[in-house]
Amino acid sequence: MSSELVQVTDLERNYKRGKFKIAALNAIDLTVKKGEIVGIVGPSGSGKTTLLNVIGGLGKPTGGHIAVDGEDLSELADKDLTHFRLHKVGFIFQFYNLISTLSAIENVEVPMTLAGVPKPEREKRARELLAIVGMEQRMNHLPSQLSGGEQQRVAVARALANRPPIILGDEPTGDLDSKSAKKLMELIRNLRKDTKTTFILVTHDPIVVEGCDRVYSIRDGKITKEFTQTDINHFKMSQGKDSLEELLV
Amino acid sequence: MSSMNMAVRSLTRRKTRTILSISGIIVGVTMILVLLSLSSGTSASTTNLLRSAVTAQITVTNSSTPTLGGLGGFTRPSGGNFGSGGFSGGNFNFTRGGTSGGFASFFGASDTIPQSDSNTIEGLSGVYAVSPQLSASGYVDNSSVLLYGINPSSFSQATTGLSISNGTMITTTGQIVLNNVIADNLGVTVGDTVVLSNNTLSTTNTGANYTVVGIFNAGSTFGPESRSAYIELSDVQSITNKTGVVTEIDVKTTNPSLVHKVVSEIESSLSGVTASTGSSVASEVSLSASLAIFFIVIGGVALLAGGFGVTNTMIMSINERTREIGTLRAIGAQKSQVLRIFFSESLLIGALGAAAGAILGIIISLILPYFSSSISSSGAFGGLLGGRLATSLVASNILLSMGLGVLVGVLAGIYPALRASRMKPEEALRYVQ
Repeated sequence: MSSELVQVTDLERNYKRGKFKIAALNAIDLTVKKGEIVGIVGPSGSGKTTLLNVIGGLGKPTGGHIAVDGEDLSELADKDLTHFRLHKVGFIFQFYNLISTLSAIENVEVPMTLAGVPKPEREKRARELLAIVGMEQRMNHLPSQLSGGEQQRVAVARALANRPPIILGDEPTGDLDSKSAKKLMELIRNLRKDTKTTFILVTHDPIVVEGCDRVYSIRDGKITKEFTQTDINHFKMSQGKDSLEELLV
Repeated sequence: MSSMNMAVRSLTRRKTRTILSISGIIVGVTMILVLLSLSSGTSASTTNLLRSAVTAQITVTNSSTPTLGGLGGFTRPSGGNFGSGGFSGGNFNFTRGGTSGGFASFFGASDTIPQSDSNTIEGLSGVYAVSPQLSASGYVDNSSVLLYGINPSSFSQATTGLSISNGTMITTTGQIVLNNVIADNLGVTVGDTVVLSNNTLSTTNTGANYTVVGIFNAGSTFGPESRSAYIELSDVQSITNKTGVVTEIDVKTTNPSLVHKVVSEIESSLSGVTASTGSSVASEVSLSASLAIFFIVIGGVALLAGGFGVTNTMIMSINERTREIGTLRAIGAQKSQVLRIFFSESLLIGALGAAAGAILGIIISLILPYFSSSISSSGAFGGLLGGRLATSLVASNILLSMGLGVLVGVLAGIYPALRASRMKPEEALRYVQ
């Protein structure tokens, strides 16, 4: 079996705005291997989130092919895409997107409930996951009673609930202070090490970029550059502290 | 964490919005239950009132006896308490005919029916009172009269009775109540003794003594009723040698709406009889029906307003929770699962609102009569009901109002729930409040 978890070939995504066709993604080719942490960087409106949504089965491509864990997403009907999202993908959002009326543990249970996991089993797993992300002590708190960093940890636990092979993060540190952002990235790297989960993270944050194995730079719907960890380290070493910001623009 | 559990969490942890949504249903259900209770209570009150105020609604006669047929029937002496309106007069008087041919029927031309028919009629459902009567010609102190033989107790129940101006109604045999015109002509008054016979007095026909216990007012001085007298049924049967038969049976129903049903049951269970009704029946039925419709329309409008309130709060709630819906869809909730969550919420709102509304409606229905005695008796309903609102709690009304509450909650939730389930997750996630 191939080690490539995500295979994107000549991907296109167009929008219609009245009579005008807008190309949000154009001829995108990328691959992500199992267990990799891949970053996607680029200016606002460059198509980062659209690309992430297509990989996560939230939006359908209008051209090209995308395969995730062996499934060709462009072939799937809406219902099957939902099933794909439930079992194959975990999401982490910038603003955590926890269900405000549910406690931390109940939030982690939601994907398992949707998947029909029996209550004792899902409660046990939710506790384990909250322990992994360091939120065991606050599992009965509502989201409003948690800090941003804590909410994002609960969101990571929720994303892991159905043991998906890949987790997609859309600006996961975008609403966090740098200390919380560093802790989150440390958690993500540990999870990758322990569970072999793959992460694709759309970001503006140098802290996230530093934690990635590879980074794609996207502009106007096209991939313009690809950086490896060596490239990232090289930039940092040769051009000083602010060089990553330059890299990300 | 089933759909219902998520709905429960959502409702219990958004208390203000939940209370607002539920209150719309509570108001609607309470109003409809109170109004239905008022409608039932008023209907019961008016039925009782009408029952005592109007005369018999059905007259059973021999099918060969000439019926009204435009003979210009006279008004029964007792008249009606509702004056000259729809309730005035009896309908059964029409069967006695009018001024020409009809009069003959009083003097023995009427065909009779078995008195036992009244027992059969009494056994029918929806029958309130049955009064058998035998009418015949006779003589009081040698002056010709129309004799009505009645059973005093059933006569007062089935008809409006006589308008006694002096004395009392007969209670037993040997007593007579005279029309005031005859009494004046004969110069007799209450307490006097008169001689009653089936023909003019002679040596062979000496008649029998009757005590005058009451004088009643006639409808007119010259009509046939002005020469009428009332005695016990068995007395007329004995005088006319017509034991066990009557000329007509007057029937009053428990509810005006049952008149036509009772008529057809009488005609199907008895042979050789005609059961006829008068125009007042339609008025009675129409009054009860109008009141019921009036109250139901008001209640329905209240519930509809409540339904719009719930729809509005549910739509607002869905707008507020667009991102939450997007999240649920993103993490793998099928459209049907989102639909179930929001539908469960509106079902719960409907059920809670219906239960609370029913409890409040029951309390108000129970205490309303005690607070309504100050209502002016000159008011439209006050006048009819003696200045006090009458309510009647009926299980079917409670269930109906609760059912409507739940239904409105569910219907109000359908559109918002569909809207939520149809949101595209990608767009819903991008939604910024």
